[in-house]
Amino acid sequence: MAVLRELVVFPSKCFRGVRSYFFSAPLFQNGSLKLNESVSKDGHALDFEQSDTKKMSKAMKSYMERAKIHDNFIKQQLHEYNIGKRHLANMMGKDPEFFTQTDVDEAIRYLFPSGLFDPRARPMMKHPDEIYPKRKAAEFDVNGRPYHSLFYTSKPNYYTLMHDLAVKFKQLDRHEDKIISRGIQNQKPTELFLFGSEWIPKQKIENVLLESLTDAQYVNLIKTFERFSQHPYSVIEKDFIMQFRRQLAAQVEIQQVPELMRDESGRPYMTYNARRKTSNATVKVIGQGTGVISINETDIHFFQREQDKKQIIFPLQFSDMLGKVDVVATVDGCGTSAQSGAIRLGISMCLRSFVNAETIERMRLAGLLSFDPRTRERKKPGQAGARKKFTWKKR
Amino acid sequence: MEYEAAVKGPLKLKGTANKDIQKKLKKKNKEKNAASLKVDQLADIKESELKEISDPLKFPDYFGVRKLFRIKDLFDARIHYGHKDGTLDPNMKPYIFGSRLGHLIFDLDKTAEMLQDALNFTAHIAYRGGIILFVSHCPQHTLTVENAAKQAGEYAHAREWDFHIFTNSEKVYNGVTRLPDLVILLSTLNPQMQEHTAVKDAAKMCIPTIGIVDSNSNPNLITYPIPGNDDSPAAVQLYCNLFRDAILLGKSKKPVEVY
Repeated sequence: MAVLRELVVFPSKCFRGVRSYFFSAPLFQNGSLKLNESVSKDGHALDFEQSDTKKMSKAMKSYMERAKIHDNFIKQQLHEYNIGKRHLANMMGKDPEFFTQTDVDEAIRYLFPSGLFDPRARPMMKHPDEIYPKRKAAEFDVNGRPYHSLFYTSKPNYYTLMHDLAVKFKQLDRHEDKIISRGIQNQKPTELFLFGSEWIPKQKIENVLLESLTDAQYVNLIKTFERFSQHPYSVIEKDFIMQFRRQLAAQVEIQQVPELMRDESGRPYMTYNARRKTSNATVKVIGQGTGVISINETDIHFFQREQDKKQIIFPLQFSDMLGKVDVVATVDGCGTSAQSGAIRLGISMCLRSFVNAETIERMRLAGLLSFDPRTRERKKPGQAGARKKFTWKKR
Repeated sequence: MEYEAAVKGPLKLKGTANKDIQKKLKKKNKEKNAASLKVDQLADIKESELKEISDPLKFPDYFGVRKLFRIKDLFDARIHYGHKDGTLDPNMKPYIFGSRLGHLIFDLDKTAEMLQDALNFTAHIAYRGGIILFVSHCPQHTLTVENAAKQAGEYAHAREWDFHIFTNSEKVYNGVTRLPDLVILLSTLNPQMQEHTAVKDAAKMCIPTIGIVDSNSNPNLITYPIPGNDDSPAAVQLYCNLFRDAILLGKSKKPVEVY
C-alpha cells in the first residue's frame, strides 16, 4: 500500500505539518514596513514564535491546539505500550530487550485466551501507530490559506485522483490522434489484460487516500477507472491501473497429485479411501497390470447389475488404462449402487498418479474426481417421507 | 461604433477617457514606482504619506485588467449566445441585446463593462492575499476550472456541492477553517437547472461573489454578475484564463502593508 500512497499527488507542503510555520513566515520574506514590530527597543530581534502567533489565523491556532492534544495522546500511548511490553516479557520469563511483536502476540494469546471468532474482537496489544488512525498533516499555513488547491471540496485527495484520471485520459487521446495522423492504421495496440484481478475495495482506497468516501463516490471512481482502462491505448498506463487492482485467488485449487508408491515386486501402486452415501471403499490400483479387477476377493461379478459394472469400468475406459492396471478393492456398507460409486471414485483418484495433467483435467471435467455429496434426506414429521405429503383433503 | 473602437484599441474605462485624468494617473504611477521597495528609503518616509501615494483603491484600474481582453475576444468565444426566448429570466432583460431566430443575444458592451469590474475586484482581492474559490457544477468544465485555479495559486470546487461547506464548515473540515474571501461562479446553475447552493450560501456568509449569469439564471444574489454564455467550453476557457490572469496580476504587485 506504500506504493499507492506515492500515487496520489500530494504537494510536498501538505506533510510539512506544524513545524512549517517556524521556517516560512511570509512576514519576513518581503521588505515590509513592519520592521518595528520585529525589532525591540534594545535592537535585539524579538522571539520568533511570539511575533508570529500574533498574526496567526484562528484556523491555524485551533489546528495547533488539536495537533498538540493528539501528539501528547500518542506519546502517552507509546510510553504505555513500551512499558507494557517489558512487563509482559518479565511475566513470560523472557528478555525485555529482545521482546518482539510476535512474542507480544503469543503472550497475549496465552494470558488472555479468547473464544471469539473474529480476530479483531480478541484482545490485542499493538504499537499505537497500528491502532490509532494517522492524521492528515496541517492542511493550511499561518494565514489560514490551505495548501491543497482542492481543499474546499473536503476530499482533496479523492478529487485529485479523479483529476489525474481525466488528465491521463486526455493524454491517451492525444497519443491516439498522433498515431492516426501518422497513418499507422494497421497497428493494433496491445490490449490491457485485466483477467484474474479485481478493483481494490472501498476500504483499501480509503486507507490510501486518508479520506472516507461515500458508496456513490467509490462507484464513480471505479466507473471512471473502467472507462479509462477501456481506452484502446490504456496499456501505456498499465502500471497506474494495476496499482488499483488486486489479484484474485485461484478459483480452482491445484490439488497435489500424490506420488506413486512401490511394492515389494517393484510395481507402482496407489491407494485411496472413497465414500459414497454410507459405503466405504478402499481401492488399490497397481500399475504394470493386465486388467485384473478384484472386489472383496471376488470378480467384477460381485455386482450383478450391468449398471454397477459399467460404473467400475468407466474411469479405466475414459483414461485408456483398461488393460494396463489391476484393481484391488474392498467395499462395505449401504447398497450396490453406492458401493459401485465409491469404487469408481477410488479408482479415478488412484489413476491420477498414473496419467498426465491433461487427462486429469478431462477426468475432472467429466465429474470422475468429484465426491458425490448426496445422502438420504431425512423424513419430516407431518409428512409420509422426505418429500411425500399425506393425502390432501379439501375439507 | 463602439465595436469598431474596441477593434482599433483596448477598451478604456469611462472614467479614463479624459486625457487630463490619464496624465494624472501616469504621474501617480511614476511616484508610486519611485517609492517602492527600498528599505532605507522607506524608513525615512512617514507611513501615512506612503499610504496616500500607493493606495491601490484610489485607482480605477490599478492592475490594468482592461488590457486582458477585447470585445472581439468575447465574440470569438461565443459569449454573446444566450439560451432560447422562452427560458429568459426577467432579471436578465437589461443585459440582452435582442433575439435572433429564437436565440437570445447578450449585449457585449454591458458584458465587457461588468467583466472589467469583476476582474478588477478579483485582482484587488488577490493583491490582499484573499482566498479565491472557483465554483462550477458542470462536469464538462471541471478540468478547465481546476487547472485555472491551480495555475492562479487559488482554489477550486468543480464537483458536487456539499450543502454544509460554508454554513457548517467546522463539521465538514474538522475544525475552524478560513472560508474563501471571494467566490467565482463559472456557472450559477447546477446540472438540475436550479440555482447553485453556493450563491445563497456565500450571500449568507457575507462572501462576495462573481458569477457568469446566463439568460436563464437569476443575477440578484450575485455581487458582480457577468451576463454571458456559460455553456460553451470556449467561453468557460476564456473566463478561466481572464480570472487567472487577473489574479496573477494582483499577486504580482507586492503589498506595502501586509494584512
